[in-house]
Amino acid sequence: MGQRPPNPPTRLALARPRVLLTTEGTYPYVMGGVSSWCNVLVNSLTEFEWQVLPIVPPDGRKRMFELPDHVSEVGRIEVWSETLPQRGRPQPLQRRAASRLPAVLVRNLLGWEGDADAVVDAWVWCRRFPAGVRSVFRSARGWSAFLGGLREVLDERVPEAGTPPVLDLVEAAKLYQTLYWVARTAAAPTPATDVLHVTAAGWSAIPAVVHKTLHGTPLILTEHGVYVREAYLAAVRNGDSPGSRFAATRVARGLARVAYANADVVSPVTDANAYWEMGLGIDPAKILVLYNGLRQTSTPTPAPRTRTVVSVGRIDPLKDVHTMLRVAAETLRYVPDARFLHYGPVTKSEEAYGRSCTALHDRLGLGERFRFMGPTDDPNGAVRDADVVLMTSISEGLPMSILEAMGEGRPVVSTGVGGVPDVVRGCGAVAAPGDEHALAMAVVTLLRNPDLASRLGQRGHARLGRIFSEAACIDGYRDLLQTVAHGTAPQDVSIGLAA
Amino acid sequence: MSEVGLDPARARLLVEARLGRRPQDMLEAAVVLEAWVGVPAQRALAAAKALMPETAADPQPSVGRLPPPSSQKGVLLEGAAFVISVIAIALWAAPLVSSLGATVVRHGLMVTLPLTIALQWGLRRRWLDHPHGLAQLADRALLLLAGALATVGLPTLVLGPSGMVAGLLTVTLTGGTILIRRRWALVYVAIILLATPPLMMGLSPLPVLAAAAAATALAVALALRTSAMPAPSSTGQWERAVAAGVIGIGLGLMLVLDRTVSWTEGTVPALALLPATFASFWGGYHLRHLERAMPRAGSGIPVIGERTRGLARPPLGVLFGALGRLLVLAGVLSVGLMALTPWLGSSARDAGVLLGFALLALATMLVSLLESMGGGAWALFAVTCAAAAEVAVRVDGTDPFSGTGLVVGGLVAVVLVLPPVIVLLSRPASTLATALWIP
Repeated sequence: MGQRPPNPPTRLALARPRVLLTTEGTYPYVMGGVSSWCNVLVNSLTEFEWQVLPIVPPDGRKRMFELPDHVSEVGRIEVWSETLPQRGRPQPLQRRAASRLPAVLVRNLLGWEGDADAVVDAWVWCRRFPAGVRSVFRSARGWSAFLGGLREVLDERVPEAGTPPVLDLVEAAKLYQTLYWVARTAAAPTPATDVLHVTAAGWSAIPAVVHKTLHGTPLILTEHGVYVREAYLAAVRNGDSPGSRFAATRVARGLARVAYANADVVSPVTDANAYWEMGLGIDPAKILVLYNGLRQTSTPTPAPRTRTVVSVGRIDPLKDVHTMLRVAAETLRYVPDARFLHYGPVTKSEEAYGRSCTALHDRLGLGERFRFMGPTDDPNGAVRDADVVLMTSISEGLPMSILEAMGEGRPVVSTGVGGVPDVVRGCGAVAAPGDEHALAMAVVTLLRNPDLASRLGQRGHARLGRIFSEAACIDGYRDLLQTVAHGTAPQDVSIGLAA
Repeated sequence: MSEVGLDPARARLLVEARLGRRPQDMLEAAVVLEAWVGVPAQRALAAAKALMPETAADPQPSVGRLPPPSSQKGVLLEGAAFVISVIAIALWAAPLVSSLGATVVRHGLMVTLPLTIALQWGLRRRWLDHPHGLAQLADRALLLLAGALATVGLPTLVLGPSGMVAGLLTVTLTGGTILIRRRWALVYVAIILLATPPLMMGLSPLPVLAAAAAATALAVALALRTSAMPAPSSTGQWERAVAAGVIGIGLGLMLVLDRTVSWTEGTVPALALLPATFASFWGGYHLRHLERAMPRAGSGIPVIGERTRGLARPPLGVLFGALGRLLVLAGVLSVGLMALTPWLGSSARDAGVLLGFALLALATMLVSLLESMGGGAWALFAVTCAAAAEVAVRVDGTDPFSGTGLVVGGLVAVVLVLPPVIVLLSRPASTLATALWIP
């Protein structure tokens, strides 16, 4: 613990640079925007040897993506499973000191001004003594130390942090379990590598931060959404007790702070995320915005002019499907022959929300005018059938479904969240989240004016080619990875907020 | 997009209107302003910081949501199936002895009981007690088949006919555990009941036992096939499964080590097990309430403050309720057996044997509880001591009453296991956090 080692000599002159890509509930086991991005990245950048280290729940999922030859899965960190940690027990003296591990984690991950370095030191201890983690957390001393640390956090009074609620013993026990899995994730081994590429400022940063501390390997953090913001959104909407909400959001904030503090480069996919990241304390000099990109069709097919509105996305509270249904209902009052097609599965664990959408669909009497089409493996094809593409999310980074709409030359009506306003500028309409009337009026306007819709679609197609092309996105990551892999100090990379 | 005036008072109203309460902190306020009011990130963060009060409010007490209890559907059916199986297999003893001889059957049962209990405990700990366990077991059909063949083959090679009896009975009884857990209890009962008349009619017992074992294995294969689904790569830990298996061997040995209890005098010894079996099932069934009592004991108890009195009451209440049920029912049924069945002879009605079986049932319940709360090492120690005590009684050879070994072994196990169980249950939050929720 303590001193960080310098960068080791690189092997780059001899072989392809190795990039350890750490993921969290996404690639290669779950379909979705982040997974698609990972897939494009590793398939396009064949000059690197990709090592994928996913963090997954123990649900026996099969891989959803084929891994090409230069990509390998170098292990899998299963959380909330029954697997035992690897061997490696601390000596008695170290064990005595280690009984403070749960207290260090709770104090510095959940404390508003917790010490990120203390967390990293604790994680490094976990890596050195994996079996010690379990014995510490299963001991009465560990639990007692944890309660002491938690009480300190709950006693904090910082105006912007509000007054922490008083957790009960059950909430405390659940938090203790979460911290155990944080420690177990830190204890998981990582292979020798040249660059660490983390795909979210959360759990997937844990093994990478430990690796960086032990070996001095440079660390790049790409944020598609903003981890902390999404944790807060989830906590707000799931109606949990104040204590559970506090624990979930503070853990997310703590993980993000450690990830930000240890990243050499933070590359959000949109400027809006960068503002959040700066608000959370990242040095702006570390930030390099790299927009997502999409491969563009040369000439978009003409819109079908069947008054069809298509939406693509998971059925999830973050996508605010309720608002989408209300937009459809209001639109149908003005354009009775319009039809809405929604493609996308119900998010796992959000089945209740899925049922609420079906109930609202029935209550609004939408019938066949709004159809849930289920998952699709051809989102471009789905969008091609549209006259207008609709999105009602309350949180987005830079959504692929909007880029897909622009790639197919279709106009977009969307809520102005995350990077959407920057993307849709001049090629669609943007309204406030939840403003079903404004969204419906925009849809009605475009359905009634197909020529206007067509012009906006063409402009979107052109804009995609200029700013959000897949080639530009891949080139950006290639430059970044090569610069970092070849040992150039991060400040030498041309970074900063995109103009 | 609509522009929103963002003076702190208005921003606070908007946030509180959306949340229906004060924001937890400035980040929650910023998220609400951005996601539901449409304020861009930079302004949302600045406004959120401004709207937070300078003076701290009183801390809000929180009561966590209790985890949902696991499904108890089919537990009674499982219990009934178990009891029917015990009675039916008890009926097998006489025909087996008359065909194969008392020595072969005695040796066979001395292997069968420890081996079966060990396999049942190991299987439960590794797979059957876990939500995805059956699905995962379905992926290991070849392992199960090899295990079944080894269970029959190895004892046969070593012990001859008694080994074959032991192997076939072990496959049937262990397979039955899987079928019962898969809710195929009726299939298992049907197999056992169908095998009983041919044995009673004097047919050669080994082919009948082989047919029962084969039918059970086939039923297990079919049952698991229908439960196949994507399963986690890990459920129970091998280390704990092996430890549980060793504990099972110890408990099985405790059952057969007492030389005053004969397992070959017709149906009688097995029927003497019935009071303890019923009682153990009732007591164990009551223990399911611990799943709720443990978290409920800590629910609403703030981590700040010294209010810890009374925490232990709900879990200890469940424990003593289970102990009481087991002892009372075992006592009542034992007295009933002694009073109402004079034709069974002394070995089924001997008070010492019945007391020994009741104590063994009590020890088994407590050992199981301790093992499930992470006290596997101590449970193993206790069972080893109890089995050693029984061996000592057996070597000493001066049994003052029938069932002395069972009584002594059972008492040793209970005395060693009950205190740690009480200690663990009297600290429910700590036990929940450290032993139950950290696998």
